[in-house]
Amino acid sequence: MKVTLATYGGQAAVADPRLPPRELDSDALPGNAAAELSRLVAQAVAAPQEGGGGRAADAMSYTITVEDGARSTVLTQSDAAMSLAFAALLTWLEKYFAKR
Amino acid sequence: MSRTRHVNCVIPPYILEKLLESDDRQVRQAALDTLLTTARLRGERAVRASFAAAASANGRRTVFDCEQGRFLQLAVLARSEDGPPATDEAANRAFDALGLTRDFYQEVFQRNSIDDRGMRLDGYVHFAVKFNNAFWDGREMVFGDGDGVKFGDLTRSLDVIAHELTHGVTDFTAGFEYHNQSGALNESISDVFGTLVKQWSLKQSVEEADWLIGTEVWTPGIDADALRSMKAPGTAFDNAQFGRDPQPDRMSRFVHMPDTEEGDHGAVHYNSGIPNKAFYLTAKRIGGFAWEAAGLIWYESLKVSQADFQFQDFADTTYRKAGELFGAGSTEQSAVLAAWREVEVPISGIPTGVARARSLAVDGSDGAGREDGVAALGRQLSALSTRVAELADDVAALKRAR
Ligand SMILES: [Zn+2]
Repeated sequence: MKVTLATYGGQAAVADPRLPPRELDSDALPGNAAAELSRLVAQAVAAPQEGGGGRAADAMSYTITVEDGARSTVLTQSDAAMSLAFAALLTWLEKYFAKR
Repeated sequence: MSRTRHVNCVIPPYILEKLLESDDRQVRQAALDTLLTTARLRGERAVRASFAAAASANGRRTVFDCEQGRFLQLAVLARSEDGPPATDEAANRAFDALGLTRDFYQEVFQRNSIDDRGMRLDGYVHFAVKFNNAFWDGREMVFGDGDGVKFGDLTRSLDVIAHELTHGVTDFTAGFEYHNQSGALNESISDVFGTLVKQWSLKQSVEEADWLIGTEVWTPGIDADALRSMKAPGTAFDNAQFGRDPQPDRMSRFVHMPDTEEGDHGAVHYNSGIPNKAFYLTAKRIGGFAWEAAGLIWYESLKVSQADFQFQDFADTTYRKAGELFGAGSTEQSAVLAAWREVEVPISGIPTGVARARSLAVDGSDGAGREDGVAALGRQLSALSTRVAELADDVAALKRAR
């Protein structure tokens, strides 16, 4: 399973718009971490997408793309409207990429 | 820190959220499960509570501490309008900035809070971990701490805070759609009133003000003046790490990007440089305190603008409003005319030669002193052309009304 995180918008967007999306391959993770990531992804995919936030000015938005074999799932949420499951996955990914 | 906002489970929600960060996988999973099952209920309660509290609050301020969490419903109270100062300086800074912005709108434009009906002002500090942002989510103002490398604590920047609250004012007035030119107008209005709140709080004249947005945002280690410059869009930063400020200062440099998240909704944070510069030029030509005449023209124009306005529509509206407020052919109206002409958005219906003559007439450093005859002729011509333009407007209005 390949997971990609792209971040857009916010106060820094104009100065810092070209950060490449960050990605990881769960095959490269230890067994526990890979299983946890799978669970977080499953919960984020299952959670209803938070609507209503719309285009909140200056909020950041995040696109998480999950590629599993032939299947590809794209989740996009924003700081102004985010499901708990998406936030849990995002927090996990941000921590993982910060450590790397 | 005295109470949670919506307590409805045995373990306080902020502790649950902390547990999400636990090193133990099973603890994290249990916390997540609990949060997921209770979130919907809490969300419904939060909506009911905010409706109940919204009426006639006269902009009462409340600051909450997210304690590095991402969920506003889980934040704890840090400071209220009548309560003592917080021990946390970020909470106090947010509280003070909300107050200055509220007082600016009240004293300068007699506007009662963001919605002009006393809407309460809720601020949330310490949002998420090392969060490099501050935003307005349609109901409340949210601040990150910054990562300490690129951005510092976002509560330190009064103009950024006033910028965000002004997004709320725009939502309740013109409602400029947040994409392409109307989105750039939305961004520009936030910069205009963001900087005016700062100038007003410091009692700075047009000449004394720095016309920069977010001077406090970058950490001292980053070689940059600010996020944006209204006086000289495109010059706020230029360094190896972030490159050069990409804001245009005139229409011929308009930035075309796709209307997507990646494309900044059609470059709204880029092209705001064009109306920003028009406001700066208007204020500079009028002189004195920018919030008095130039600010009033922009505020009155905002109130009568429509959601799908393009730069041209807004420019024409400021010109018309300047005429209504200060008189056709007044210094103020001529300043508006010249400013938009300089950023290459000439006011509709005014011949170029007439606009140029009026610009010279109003801009003392640019010829009025040594070319009295030309200036006087220009003034006469422009007064005449203003009347013609107004007649044209009236005819257009009559046609629309039919
Ligand atoms: Zn903005």
